[in-house]
Order: sequence, then C-alpha cells, then structure tokens
Amino acid sequence: MIYDRQYYLDTFRVTERDLETLAAEGLKGGGDFCDLFFENTSYRDILLRDGEVSSGGFHIDYGVGIRVLCGEKTGYAYSESTDMPSMKSAARAAAAITVGCAVGGDRRTSDHRHFGRPNPAADRYPMLQDWRTADVAAQLPMLQKLESLIRAKDTRVVKVIAMLSSQVSDILMYNSFGELKYDTRPMGSLVASVVFTQDGAIESKSVSRSFRKGGEMLTDALLKELAAQAVQGIDERFAARRPKGGRMPVVMGAGASGILLHEAMGHAFEADFNRKGQSIFSGKMGERICGKGITIVDDGTIKGNRGAVNFDDEGVPGQYTVMVEDGILTSYLHDRISAKYYGVAPTGNGRRESFRYNPIPRMRATYMESGDGTAEDIIASVKKGIYVDQFANGQVKIGEGDFTFYVKSGFLIEDGRLTMPVKDVNIIGNGPQALADIRAVAGDLAIDDGTWTCGKEQSCPVSCGIPTVLVSNLTVGGE
Amino acid sequence: MMDYRLTEQERALAARCLETALAKGAQKARVTLNKSCMDLIGTLNGEVDKVSRCLDRSISIALFVDGKYGSFSINRLEESALEDFIDKAIATARLLAEDRLRDLPDPARTAKDAAGGRELGLYDEACPKMDSERRLAIALGASIFKDTAPTEEWTLVSEEAEYSDSVFDTLVMDTQGLYCRHTETSFEYGVEMTITDKEGNKYSGYWWNVCPRLAGLGAEGICDRALSRAVSQIGPRSLRSGKYTCVIDSECSSKLVTPLLNALGAYAVQQNNSFLCGKLGEKVFHEGLTIRDMCRNKGESGSRLFDSEGVATTEHDIISNGVVNEYFINTYMAGKMQMAPTVEDATRPRVMPWPEPGLDRGAIMARCGDGILVTGFNGGNSNAATGDYSFGIEGFAFKDGRKTHPVREMLMTGNLVELWNNLLAAGDDSRPCKSKLIPTLAFGNVDFSGE
Repeated sequence: MIYDRQYYLDTFRVTERDLETLAAEGLKGGGDFCDLFFENTSYRDILLRDGEVSSGGFHIDYGVGIRVLCGEKTGYAYSESTDMPSMKSAARAAAAITVGCAVGGDRRTSDHRHFGRPNPAADRYPMLQDWRTADVAAQLPMLQKLESLIRAKDTRVVKVIAMLSSQVSDILMYNSFGELKYDTRPMGSLVASVVFTQDGAIESKSVSRSFRKGGEMLTDALLKELAAQAVQGIDERFAARRPKGGRMPVVMGAGASGILLHEAMGHAFEADFNRKGQSIFSGKMGERICGKGITIVDDGTIKGNRGAVNFDDEGVPGQYTVMVEDGILTSYLHDRISAKYYGVAPTGNGRRESFRYNPIPRMRATYMESGDGTAEDIIASVKKGIYVDQFANGQVKIGEGDFTFYVKSGFLIEDGRLTMPVKDVNIIGNGPQALADIRAVAGDLAIDDGTWTCGKEQSCPVSCGIPTVLVSNLTVGGE
Repeated sequence: MMDYRLTEQERALAARCLETALAKGAQKARVTLNKSCMDLIGTLNGEVDKVSRCLDRSISIALFVDGKYGSFSINRLEESALEDFIDKAIATARLLAEDRLRDLPDPARTAKDAAGGRELGLYDEACPKMDSERRLAIALGASIFKDTAPTEEWTLVSEEAEYSDSVFDTLVMDTQGLYCRHTETSFEYGVEMTITDKEGNKYSGYWWNVCPRLAGLGAEGICDRALSRAVSQIGPRSLRSGKYTCVIDSECSSKLVTPLLNALGAYAVQQNNSFLCGKLGEKVFHEGLTIRDMCRNKGESGSRLFDSEGVATTEHDIISNGVVNEYFINTYMAGKMQMAPTVEDATRPRVMPWPEPGLDRGAIMARCGDGILVTGFNGGNSNAATGDYSFGIEGFAFKDGRKTHPVREMLMTGNLVELWNNLLAAGDDSRPCKSKLIPTLAFGNVDFSGE
C-alpha cells in the first residue's frame, strides 16, 4: 500500500527538513552515505486452542534506524523515539564508523539513484482491508470455521491449533542522495497445526498461507484450501517408514521443494558472502554452474507474495533478478554496498528484519523457471530413489556449500513408481554439485505460499518455488 | 560511559501501567518491563567493519479482563501512548472468548528473593565503564588475520568477528504484589574463519565465548581455536552408511537435549504433540541420564531466580536416572491439565556425568574405541510427536580413540528415545558459557547415512 508522502511524515512526526538534518549529522564525521529507515509496525495475533479463540494480543514497534557507510564499512544505531535529540544521538553513534576510515571515491557507496516518488499504481500489495482497522470480532469465527472444516474431513483429528497473525508496517526511507521512499507493507498469515491419532500412534501436521495482503485474504476459499491441505497425506504419514539411507536420486516435487534453491544456491549467491570471499560461488560469475535450460531467479515483483517488495529496505525498487540464466551464473543478490564493490546496480535485495538491523543482501521469492519435462516422466525415469514434497527447515554452510533440508513427507521411487511413504528424513548435499546434478526440469513451476522465514542473522519473510526437478545424487538419512 | 539499567522513573511507569489497567477494567494484570543496551564492533580481516549501538525498551502487559485474557506489548513508553495502548488492549481482550483458567500464579509460588536484580551476581560494573577504545582494543587485539601466513596446505580467506557488551534489565510486576528483577551484563566474542585448501575447497570454523564478566571473556585465543577447527576439516570424505558408535562434542551436544526438554513442555503435552505424553514418573531413558536444573548458581550464565510469570525457580532433577520427573507447567496449563504447576521451562539444565565424574571428550573416545565424533550439526529436525530425528553432521571418524579423518555429507537418523537408551557415557566437560550445560555424550548403535 502506498499512501501520500505527508501520511508518513506525520506518522513519524518529522519534516523533510528534519530528514536532511539527520542525514547531514550522520555524515559529519566523514562518511560517504547515510540513510534513515523509519518503521511503525502494528502486529496482531489471535489463537484458537481447544475450540476457543481465547488468547490474542497486539504489539507495536516504532523507531528509526540510522546507517552511516564509509566505503564497505557500516555504522548503525537506532532510536525508539523520533524526537530530534534522540535521532541525532543515534546518527552520531552510527557515525562512529568513520573514525580512521578514509575512503577513496571509487569505493564510495553505490551511486545508482532512484529519485522517483513511490507510485501507488505500481503497488505490489494494495491492501483493501487494513488489518489495523479490521474488526477483530469478525475474524474470530474464521478460525472456528477453519477448525470445523479440518475436523469434518478426518475423524482422527484430536487437536487443532489455528492462528491468524497480521502485521502492517509503515516505512519511510531517506538517504543522503536525497532519495525519499515510503511504503506500507501488510502481511497476513494463517497457520493450522493439527494432531491426529490412529491405533495409538500420533502424527502432527502444520500448514500455512501467508501473503502481503490485507484482511481481504481471509476468504472461505482460503479456509477450505488450508483445511484440505491439513488432512492431505495423513494416511501415508501413518503408514510411512524410514527409508534405507544413503546416496540416491531425489525428485523434488513442485512448490515447497524450492527450499533446495534457497539453501543450496540462494544463500551462496548473496553478494556479501561473495564480496568477503566466503561463498563457494565466489569468483564464479559468468561461469556455467549447471545444465543448459536451467534458469534460477529471485523475484521481488510477485503481487501479494510474501517476498514482494515495492522497495527494498535501502529504497531500491524491487526487481526480478536472474541469478542463473540457461545454466550460467549471471548475477549475485546485491545491496548497495556489494553493488558498488562489484560495479553493478543494486538488485533490490537489501533487506532487514526491522529498524533494529542494518540491511544486508537477502532473498525475496526464489524459484526456478519451468523446464520442458513432465513430473510423470521424471518419476518414471528413476529406478530407485526418493520423491519429496513437504519440508520443515533447511540450512547451509556457505563456504563448504553443504546444505540440508528436512523432509516431512515423501515416497520411495521404485522402478519409476511412487511406492512406500517416507517421513522425517534429512537430506544433505553440496550446492554446486547438486546444481550440476540436476538432470531434468518439468514445466510445472509452483510457488509455495507458506510462512517461509529466512534466518540469516535476522528474520526475513521470503517465499520459494520450483518445478518438479530430478537431482541425480543426494544423501538421504535413513536406517 | 553509560549505565543503561532501569531507572526509578521507568519502574514507576510499570507500576502505573498496572494501576491504569485495573482502573480501566482489568481484574488482574502483569507487566514486564525490558531494557537493554548493546554495543558491538564487527571486524573483517583484522579491521573494523561495523559498529553498532542498540538501545531497547519495551513494556509487555498480560491482561485478565472479565474472565478473558490477552497479551500486548509496545516500545513507546510515553505516558500518553501507554494510556491509549492499555485502552485498546482491554478492548481487544474483551473480544476474545472467556477462559477462566487464565490466572496469575499463586503468590506463594513466586520469587521473593529477586527484588534488586543483582542477587545472582551477574552484573559487572565494568560494563558501563566500557568505551570505544576498550572495545576496539578487544576486537582488534583478538584478531590473528594479519599474522597468519599461508601454509602449503591452506590459505586464510577471511576472518569475520564480532565483539559486543550488553546490559539486560528486566522487571516483572503483577497486581498481586509480585516484584522480580533480573539484571545481567554480557561480554561476547565470536569469530568465523574461512580457509581454502590447495585445491580451492573452502572450509570454515567458528568459535566463541560469552561471559557475564569481562574478566572471564578471554577473547585472545578464540581466533586460533576457530582457525584450527577450519583446518582440521581439510580432506573430508564420507563413510559407508551403517551403525556406528557416536561421540557428540560438548560444543554441539545440546542439539540432542533440546528436543527432550521441548517434549516436556506442557503446551506440547496438552496437545498430544509430544513423544513424552503420559510418561511422567516412568523410566523412559537409560539409567545414566540425569538432567538437573541448576538455575540458581551465582555468577553463572543462564541462572535465573524466576520464570516469566515470576514463579521462583528451584534446583531439581528434571530427569533422574532415566525417569521423567517433571513437565514444565505454567499456571494456565496447570488448570488445563488439572495438574500442579511447576515452572515454564528448564532454566539452566545440566546433563550429569555418567558413569563417573571427570570424563572429557578424549577419555570418552578412548573408551569407545572406534566410531564417529560429531563436532557440529548441519540442519535437521525431529518429530515432536514421535521423537524421530534426522540431523546433518560434520566431524571425524576415529579409531582406537584417535581421530583419523574428517567426514562430511553424512546424516544421523533415529528415534530420540532409542538414542538415549543407547547412552554410553556423559562427560563432565560442558562449556560454562552456555545456558544448557551439556557435556560430551556417547551413544551406541547410531544409524549414519553416507556413501
């Protein structure tokens, strides 16, 4: 949502003259760039447990983060008050980075500038019902309806916890180039955690949807979709066994398997790790890193997506960034610091958890473009392997490139057919090798709209997606 | 120089929040006032890369209104903003369903020995005296980047480190007279070293220390330790899948204890989403497993005199000789489960040495003979309902008690109850800087997946 400029100045009780004064204060010590990030976030949640929506609350977070850059070095401080003395004090604290920091002109912060005013017509997350003024009483029955839908679908359900969380952040950004950007970022998340019992055994499943949308996202269709997913595959989960572990082909199902890209490649493409020489992909720009026909992107432009940004947290417009094109590494994910280091334009990936953190290169919606195969043919091509489609979490070691992700459910593949259900196995591989081992890509790209949150130093909402993909050799945990 | 503890005015503000809540219609309320300050210096390759200052204040309020309950927080502490905040909070709580089980804890169970905040001796007067010169001296003095020459085997690529000092001050008050305060300082230094071998493969090693007292930090030597951890990983290979004896280094062994403690949480048990449902009082684990909450040790990281409700902590066995002694039950869950309340969580759990005190990693490896030494985990998770787990690991193969070569791209997989019933030894070498005191552990018959 993008309101008019005065709305944001009033929210933070500042004038444009104040912004100029603060940026100048930050640069007094000799820094070459200063930016201000104002945030006013209202977060609300309501929770259904044991059939009643009997707990909930709201939380307000307000403040301004001030950053001073001296070449690639960062000074950062924040204030939870927007009175001028407090903000000036923060600016002076951030300016401490300039002590003993002499920077030549060629190492100064990226001077790619974007002076255009935010354009409401290009808004990627218009909010039809503002969560802040929504009728909470009207939301309570939605959670009860969700529980009823879930219970109606499966008699084995013994417990349901449903939670609706909503957040709206007013953001105002100003920097010493004179760029002024503003944005109102909604986020709504609906989560259901369900416990099932069968013959004394217990299984649980958690499903979620999260969008940069207002209260209009709460529709009957969404509740039905979530309820259906909550009970889907429970028969298989009760029947699932641990597979025999070891190296084998892995077919990644379309959608949530995009966690493979996030962990195995996306983090290693973040330019801060490469600038410092820590990433396994450092120095590989322009090289072939996987097969022809494979294109991997990080996209901040999907309307209403959890990873969408009108502007990143440095005021750079959100973009569609092609990291790998037809198998060739074409771009890292940049903030202003790394963009200057590499002599390229920022890609709109400078993101942060809140005003308490300085921005760093972060993913948005990371996915692989569709290929020309089919999921059926890919599965049929595997003699013995595993098919995976639901995940819990992942992790990567940037230098070594070793990544893992935890599989909540999937199937064995035997002679080209899905056979025994499997669950609760970790899969481990090496990023560059896994990329090189991608043997087939289907044409069924799906973006997963779950509550994906990346935890690189700070929490940041992201999303991921992938078409059905065959990786010829990964290590699967098992007996 | 700055003292960022709670002021008298701020404490009075918390009290007025309680009064306002009662005046506006709440029957009971609890306020938690948090204040913290952290100064941080980040270095890259022996030079300052980042400085930051973080000053935080916030008020959280739990409201009990006409049998209904809500939890709210705000970081704007101006009186006018707070009044409006409490108005809206009460109105929101009234929209929720009635839940008569929500209540403040019985005053008889709350801490009476924590009114000053410094009773545990976790506040170091050196903290407010820190200035940028002293911080720089520690951050840059610990660096070894410029003195580390390439060898025939490896070259140092980057040294990325952070030094920080912090003050945390928390006050919890409620309308039944609770008044508990916890004040703590913290000094921390951590570093990640990245190297390349002669083939261009990269390896990283991390090491850190944290201490409530500056004198206990010992930043020197941390970079050397991180570097040696990176270098030791050169030339890894995977082992064949199979069952191995497994030794878990004390640096990472909490990964195997945290899921046990989570399974004892009342929220998981009440929802049937715990593999320890119905196991209270039963012998579930090997008799060698005793986990003791050593929550009141003066001067030790992680010690606390009260939980978030203000309930007094006590030193006791959570699991004793394999028997589950306790679920973590707060006031609300006690009503739900019709059980006596305990505390909200383990505060400073310690896995006690077994079969004898004094064992360290080397001694345990010598006893085990051959196996896999796990020195770090790479991802993975466990199923709360079943206890099934699967973790990525890094570490070393060992033979006759001695490391032979590093291993990589391997996974350990199994069930937590089975794993803990195969306990071979628990050492006496947990790191005192951690809030969970988990030593080197050894287990038999663990499934590893590799080649």
